[in-house]
Amino acid sequence: MTKENVQGAGEEEQQAQSKKGLKKQQKEAEKAAKKAEKQAKLAAEQQDTDEDDFAKDRYGICPMVQSQQKLDRALVRVQDLTPEKAEQQIWVRARIHTSRAKGKQCFLVLRHQQFTVQALLAVGERASKQMVKFAANLTKESIIDVEAVVKKVEQKIESCSQQDVELHVERIFVISQSEARLPLQLEDAVRPEGEGDEEGRATVNQDTRLDNRVIDLRTTTSQAIFRLQSGVCQLFRDTLINKGFVEIQTPKIISAASEGGANVFTVSYFKTSAYLAQSPQLYKQMCICADFDKVFCVGPVFRAEDSNTHRHLTEFVGLDIEMTFNYHYHEVIDSITDTMVQIFKGLRDRFQTEIQTVNKQYPSEPFKFLEPTLRLEYMEGVAMLRAAGVEMGDEEDLSTPNEKLLGRLVKDKYDTDFYVLDKYPLAVRPFYTMPDPSDPKYSNSYDMFMRGEEILSGAQRVHDAQLLTERAMHHSIDLEKIKAYIDSFRYGAPPHAGGGIGLERVTMLYLGLHNVRQTSMFPRDPKRLTP
Amino acid sequence: MPMYQVKPVSPGDIKIDLPTCMYKLTNVHAQGMNCSEHALQNGEVDPAVKALEDRQDEVLRRLYELKATVDGLTKTVTTPDADLDATTLSHAPVESVFRGTADLDSLLGKDLGALRDIVINAHPARPPLSLLVLHGLLCQRYQVLSSVHLHSSVPGVPPPLMSCLGPRHTDSYARQRFQLGFTLIWKDVSKLQMKFSTQNMCPIEGEANVARFLSRLLGADPQDPVSATQMDRWIDTAVFQLAEGGNKERAAVLRSLNTALGRSPWLLGEGFSLADVVCACCVLQAGESGSAPANVQRWLKSCQNLGHFRCVYPLLQ
Repeated sequence: MTKENVQGAGEEEQQAQSKKGLKKQQKEAEKAAKKAEKQAKLAAEQQDTDEDDFAKDRYGICPMVQSQQKLDRALVRVQDLTPEKAEQQIWVRARIHTSRAKGKQCFLVLRHQQFTVQALLAVGERASKQMVKFAANLTKESIIDVEAVVKKVEQKIESCSQQDVELHVERIFVISQSEARLPLQLEDAVRPEGEGDEEGRATVNQDTRLDNRVIDLRTTTSQAIFRLQSGVCQLFRDTLINKGFVEIQTPKIISAASEGGANVFTVSYFKTSAYLAQSPQLYKQMCICADFDKVFCVGPVFRAEDSNTHRHLTEFVGLDIEMTFNYHYHEVIDSITDTMVQIFKGLRDRFQTEIQTVNKQYPSEPFKFLEPTLRLEYMEGVAMLRAAGVEMGDEEDLSTPNEKLLGRLVKDKYDTDFYVLDKYPLAVRPFYTMPDPSDPKYSNSYDMFMRGEEILSGAQRVHDAQLLTERAMHHSIDLEKIKAYIDSFRYGAPPHAGGGIGLERVTMLYLGLHNVRQTSMFPRDPKRLTP
Repeated sequence: MPMYQVKPVSPGDIKIDLPTCMYKLTNVHAQGMNCSEHALQNGEVDPAVKALEDRQDEVLRRLYELKATVDGLTKTVTTPDADLDATTLSHAPVESVFRGTADLDSLLGKDLGALRDIVINAHPARPPLSLLVLHGLLCQRYQVLSSVHLHSSVPGVPPPLMSCLGPRHTDSYARQRFQLGFTLIWKDVSKLQMKFSTQNMCPIEGEANVARFLSRLLGADPQDPVSATQMDRWIDTAVFQLAEGGNKERAAVLRSLNTALGRSPWLLGEGFSLADVVCACCVLQAGESGSAPANVQRWLKSCQNLGHFRCVYPLLQ
């Protein structure tokens, strides 16, 4: 019985094997047939291409532009493609943002800076099958020249910035081709925070962005951020020049650390060493002593602080102001706050498109401010915090969380994102800060806050060599090291005050962003030195 | 799963030598368990539950009673013949208004070192004239730090609006020297809004209510309930029917003002009060001062003579 069984099993096995073999053969035959079919198709297509391609000279890859010829061709910018241009035949240079082929049609989205427009290629009188195929196969981010007719569309194109028109392409030439594989996808890089997680789509993390900054900077959001930042700088300059300020340039390589010595970068300087300037303060004050009255400077500032937070950089752009006043340092506060308000107003009125673009990816409440700016005193701030349940001493410095909380309290009551906190305790300010005349515990110094984060720290400076020496000694600072600084006040110095703003921080806080690296074009922090 | 009984595995009466640091407690389980078993078995009601039921019935009964009382009151209030004729009631002599005493500490809570700052958000299209008058009165009583700001939601306002609280105080650089802050912010708000202590107090809305708040700081509220009610009525009439009402309503209010002012120099009798401030401002703002009846005209003139309204005129078109 066992034998029979074994035999039976063996037979079955054989049968199964042969069945398997049959199936295999069948499959192979099918494969071969498919292959043949494919080849035939390919051949046919090849023939097609070889066959009369009536649109042969309407597309192609341009030879590298080496300035062979000077064409007198006017290129229209994508942002200028409006319904007024309807039915006109124009040339456009742009990048391919996306391309989508659908049978005999190919939809391209063309992008230039932060503006996009839809372009359409369809097999027809003007375009051959091959031409459409060529367009469909172009790699994303390639730069192309397109000749097209502008057409009005009935339904708004929601996905593009130019919603009322599209381009009907007649010629298409590649100027510069992009590699097919991109290190990051632009649409992933502009996806609003949180949205990607829900739908399982990719978002790009900060480091990937910064490693491939060139591509990241092409996103609409980055374009808008840095255009706005340039606006901040320009408004800062314009406002101050109008107020009679003089722009100065200060050295960045200095022989001694200006504020005591910590947090400075040392660089080798021939046979000795030098430092990178932490702030242009010393030079600003020297210009004041040299009767320039009101000065400002825009330039890089270096801080060797090993802090990896959302708001610290080791190199950033400082907007510094220093001015003389007549009798009270509030004249300076008024001048600085008015400058800030002019910047905010200018941004609100002239950069609305950019603000909207950034808001699409990083939604935030519009920046609110008062004119004239609200000024609170440090004691009041402390009292407000205490009323909210915070325990802190009178002369204690504000911690970052307390700053944030105070910002919220002030916003609740006054509905402003920008305010000045005046009269800081003398103990928490640098030695050159002028003490308060009525209460020696306090000082004539102030911080300015945007959305609860400090953006400017300033004070009336001691302009008397005698008092300055006393203050420095009180802080046990080596007098030898700051001799040059003290000496500049020996030959008569006008009373003055000032402060410095970080450009990146202002941009970040104005837009309600959460990381200063987003508003620094090529950020430098303790962990990043490239690109 | 059915349960079955098991004989105790240890005899219940074992003697254990307890250490001296421990002490005996009576069994907490035995009593309660017996009771619940008992109740379950006999279907009897626990006296505690019974007591709870009784209490609920009592609470419900009292609620019904309350409802009946409130219904009764509503009827009295809505039927016209139940309305009191305030004029027939005896008048307590109205004290010389705006001379009362008020202690800021008791009114606004203790000073914690922060300036007690009253923030008023107003729309530039509807300047709160009565509040400006009250601001002037506050300045006579207290050291007030007044400031006017423009909020970013409004593109700009005419210069008189920015200077409506008068020139800057010479001491304004030292906020600690003041008893009270008065901060007016021109802002795109649908309704006038006042904020004082954002943590302990919700914002007060409407010019009438803010005016009442400010007048309380002056300690000028009428003490007898009749005048207090009359004052409230005039304020509401002024704000809802003069400032926000149509032509017909306005004419009606002016007529009733005229009647009231025919009887006494001021709306509440012999003394100038908040009612006069709010009504006069509303008449002025409505642009009715020229066409108003005689008594109203005379009364406006007396208001003007008091000097409190000086800040209002530059703001009238």
